[in-house]
Amino acid sequence: MDAVLQALINGIISGTLLAVPALGFSAIFAVLRFPNFAIGALATAGAYCAWVVNVSLGLPIPVAIFAAFVGAGLAGALLEYGALERLGRGGALMKAIGSLAMGMVIENIVRFIFGNDLQAFDLPLARDIVFGPIRVGPQQLNNLVLALVIMAAVWAFLSLTSLGRSMRAVADNPDLARLKGVNPRFIALVTVAIGSGLCGIGGTLIGLDTAIDPLVGGRVLLSVFAAAVLGGLGSIPGAVAGAFLIGIVEEFTVLALSPAYRLAVGFIVILVVLTVRPSGLLGSKAN
Amino acid sequence: MKIDFTRRSFLGTSMLATGTVAMPGILRAQEGPIKLGTLTPLTGSGGAYGPVMAETVKKAAAEINKAGGVLGRELVIISEDDQTNPEAGLRAARKLIDVDKVSAIMGTWASSVTTAVAPVCWQSGVFLTTASGADSITKLPHQGFIIRTQPNTTLQGRKFGEFALELGAKNVAFVSPQTPFTDSQYAELKRAVEAAGGKTSILIYDDKKTTLRTEVDQALRGKPDAIVMGGYTTDTAVLVRDLYRANYKGKLLGFGYAVNKQLVDALPPDVSEGIVTLSPSAAEGTNGYKHVVKLLGIDSPDTYSCQIYDHVNLVSLAMAAGKGTTGAVIKDNVRKIAQGGGEKVDNAVDGLKLVAAGTKIDYDGASGPCDFTDIGDIQDAQFRYEQIKGGKIVLLKIA
Repeated sequence: MDAVLQALINGIISGTLLAVPALGFSAIFAVLRFPNFAIGALATAGAYCAWVVNVSLGLPIPVAIFAAFVGAGLAGALLEYGALERLGRGGALMKAIGSLAMGMVIENIVRFIFGNDLQAFDLPLARDIVFGPIRVGPQQLNNLVLALVIMAAVWAFLSLTSLGRSMRAVADNPDLARLKGVNPRFIALVTVAIGSGLCGIGGTLIGLDTAIDPLVGGRVLLSVFAAAVLGGLGSIPGAVAGAFLIGIVEEFTVLALSPAYRLAVGFIVILVVLTVRPSGLLGSKAN
Repeated sequence: MKIDFTRRSFLGTSMLATGTVAMPGILRAQEGPIKLGTLTPLTGSGGAYGPVMAETVKKAAAEINKAGGVLGRELVIISEDDQTNPEAGLRAARKLIDVDKVSAIMGTWASSVTTAVAPVCWQSGVFLTTASGADSITKLPHQGFIIRTQPNTTLQGRKFGEFALELGAKNVAFVSPQTPFTDSQYAELKRAVEAAGGKTSILIYDDKKTTLRTEVDQALRGKPDAIVMGGYTTDTAVLVRDLYRANYKGKLLGFGYAVNKQLVDALPPDVSEGIVTLSPSAAEGTNGYKHVVKLLGIDSPDTYSCQIYDHVNLVSLAMAAGKGTTGAVIKDNVRKIAQGGGEKVDNAVDGLKLVAAGTKIDYDGASGPCDFTDIGDIQDAQFRYEQIKGGKIVLLKIA
């Protein structure tokens, strides 16, 4: 029983790490209608921006996280308007493949500048806090709180600001939004920047918990994609729910099967859920 | 089409043909450079080692070329990146073989890459020299086209078991991602520990995960007093962090290629403190080793740089001894210059002069004696035992 409870807590914590980039991925999909696979590399780029600010400039972690948001956001917007938009005429598949290629380009630029070595943030590593049979790491709790705050901020932005409402309108029906005076191209730019920025924060949170290298974002790409698909591509609350579910299922797998299979089990869950509910858990509008 | 065939042109052609046959062999061999490939991990998990390995070969080849080349021909080294990834390695190997027409590929590092690349090499008659340890590699039907300077993992697994016992452990857990050598390594570790009355357990994890908390919980359930970590640097860093967080106080053992300076830099000093490592040792103190120190201009070159230095020397000497440049010539002659007595040499430049003079040589290199079994395994190897102390890797012993 203790093992189950511990795995549940571990799953929630790894779910929060997946939820932030999954939010970004889903937001981009909602507005631009293509899966942007460059998000793994954008998460890496954000993590390295944060690392430079924290380690090279000696600034505190919150500033580093903000730098990750801005750095990855700019990179994502530049990528969309410098390269991917031009592929738009070829359809969503062409853009998806283009994003995969551009992700590799970004990863290699990071590798060229920073090398292959693992880099750690300037952060002490604390032992876990023990509650009876259950252990929780202070950094994991920090990450949990940070991720929840970011998710709440995204929700507030989408619900309470006019820009957020415009984003939802464009996601819902771009033609109708245009008739109402919303510029879909500008909204798409803002969405890509925010979505990419969220991926940058996601990469940084993973880096704070472990260490970073040029493949840090690439390693979570499949799980993030799985979370977004599970939640219903394009659904913001769905991405969060999907991330938690993937995180928890992967941890439970370890108790029953060899940990080597946990990614596969995540995908089996997707197959099962999508068979029962093809639009994902909360993605009634996905197509 | 009309062919003009006058008496004058017949005379000229005949003289040219006669002259060519009469030329000394060494001049006739001037058919352009000899192409050799390196396939090292410039990126990926092995990215810390591959660039230096490729550089070592280029420098060693430059020395050989300066002294007149092999069979009077220049060595040209073409370096490719295997990305520590079998698919990328295979693509790069095909390019080296089909486009560049190399006679040998040197320096594959990850066992998964070597396993993928090996069949293409032997099917194309290209000689493969590797620094990979998985037992399965030399058991492939390679018809003699593979040699390796890295001790196989059967030996490494036994050494880990013996070292854990030496450190006082009785309950040893092996925690590792799935690699081509995981099973053989664990089998030997288990045999060594259980022969001394101890017990072992194994846990395989997914090395792509950013946290291994649940895996650590599982591994610690058996209360091991020593954990042998079988991964590469990136996932080992995640594992060590999660073991520290879980307040694990037992012994931690890892491979030298995973527990390295990169890992030490990525972890706070108190987290990595006390981890012990073992790795195949370069032949420190020998002239071959000193030569690599001079060649690279660094104080203590790693074992892989020393191994690939031996690869290029062995390949060059085998070609010279067989008076040919194909992979088959290298295969048939590599043991003739590496073992079985003769004048001892530790570098190709000296060796090539002796071979040209018809003297039998026995190459002992920077990584060790370089004597190979029939299937291509190295016969003898020493290990280097080290420990992280105060953020530095300190040598405990070479044995």
